Amino acid sequence: MNSVVSIRGSKHGISVKLAESATYEEIKQNTASAFRDAAKLLGDKKVAVSFEGKVLTEEQQEELVELIHQNSSLQIICIMEQASEKDRRFQESVLCAQMELDASTGEFYKGHIRSGQVAEFERSVIIIGDVNPGASIVSKGNIIILGSLKGTAFAGASGKRNCFIVAMDMQPIQIRIADVFARSADRPEDKVTEPRIAFVEDENIYIEPLTKSVLNDITL
Amino acid sequence: MGEVIVVTSGKGGVGKTTSTANIGTGLAKLGMKVVLIDTDIGLRNLDVVMGLENRIVYNLVDVIEGNCKINQAFIKVKGYENFYLLPSAQTRDKTSVTPEQMKELTDRLKESFDFVLIDCPAGIEQGFKNAIAGATRALVVTTPEVSAVRDADRIIGLLEANEIRKTQLIVNRLRVDMVKRGDMLSCDDVLEILSIGLIGVVPDDENIIISTNNGEPLVGDNSMAGKAYMNICHRILGEEVPYLDLNKKEGFFSKLFKK
Repeated sequence: MNSVVSIRGSKHGISVKLAESATYEEIKQNTASAFRDAAKLLGDKKVAVSFEGKVLTEEQQEELVELIHQNSSLQIICIMEQASEKDRRFQESVLCAQMELDASTGEFYKGHIRSGQVAEFERSVIIIGDVNPGASIVSKGNIIILGSLKGTAFAGASGKRNCFIVAMDMQPIQIRIADVFARSADRPEDKVTEPRIAFVEDENIYIEPLTKSVLNDITL
Repeated sequence: MGEVIVVTSGKGGVGKTTSTANIGTGLAKLGMKVVLIDTDIGLRNLDVVMGLENRIVYNLVDVIEGNCKINQAFIKVKGYENFYLLPSAQTRDKTSVTPEQMKELTDRLKESFDFVLIDCPAGIEQGFKNAIAGATRALVVTTPEVSAVRDADRIIGLLEANEIRKTQLIVNRLRVDMVKRGDMLSCDDVLEILSIGLIGVVPDDENIIISTNNGEPLVGDNSMAGKAYMNICHRILGEEVPYLDLNKKEGFFSKLFKK
């Protein structure tokens, strides 16, 4: 292992760690030799590269990329800035914004969710099948079940209280929307098979038939 | 090339072993080459139900560990040409066998048999994993009770997760009079919850207990359970058989005239 220049592969590309104490000349020599040694291993992929451990000028970076080109068959597409605290904040806020979007976008799931299984979804979900007793379904958005809900359902898992749960046959063991819980009655009332919706109002979960007026109150 | 079928349920005491014994015997009666494997290591009783307990010399663990040849462990069932039992070990536990070893064994057996029937232990731990390792088809046994149906649901989920897609349901010990009174789940109720294909309904029948105690499977005789099990065997072979009319009450006279 080279002590001045070390190469690490990451999810997005290759990060080159430079020893802070080394001079630029040393770095140049060692970069060339490190990539020559690892050329076979690295192959001819198209990658992004980032330099870490030492602050380099733009010309220096370009020079190093040129050296990598000469000594390996890698194709460098771009140079990434070092991940700073600021970058991470940016990333987080972008992720948050994407999550907000997820409540109004969704996906389909075909199949039954059976006892012992936990189905988790990043976005709203439409289940074509049943959620059986002992099974649970979790979504950051809304949950619509085109079958019966006899297990546990948790909508708005990222904390959105205006999420809802709809099932053609609503007989849940437990329901949770954001931070509000409800459980089934200990003595079940007469079974009615009709489409129903569960939503939050004033700290409570209400389950009501899917009527026009209820649908009008839904906000996404 | 034969088929490896696991008989499983999750919950104990719903009739896995009885079903394995009867279906195996029924398939043998229909001329199939059948081998039964008891994977309930430490709590074996398929041999008892089959009435073969006194003939056990070697067992499944001996075969796996290479203490004997596979043919030495086979117990030939009396009265059949090609019907064998591979008994389980009583003095060991489920960890004596791994799923890979079971798969290797069943893969070998299905070369020379039409059906390899595996009696699965209760639960979802090692024993279950061993039993399903080589299976390509599963019969899930349940009784019309909420607890048994719940466990069957879990089992079906696990079978799906293990790529066993050909899964069918046996509803065992159904009592028509209780269903009529609304005191028991009906077959339709069970099917609605589990939503898989049905392969047979076996009524609650005291003849089963008698036959189990005698060590002679009743499949194919005149009892309701015997007929129901025979129908299941026909359906396994792909034949269309109508379901028994379980409502038919045996009248006083029909009882009198039966020999």
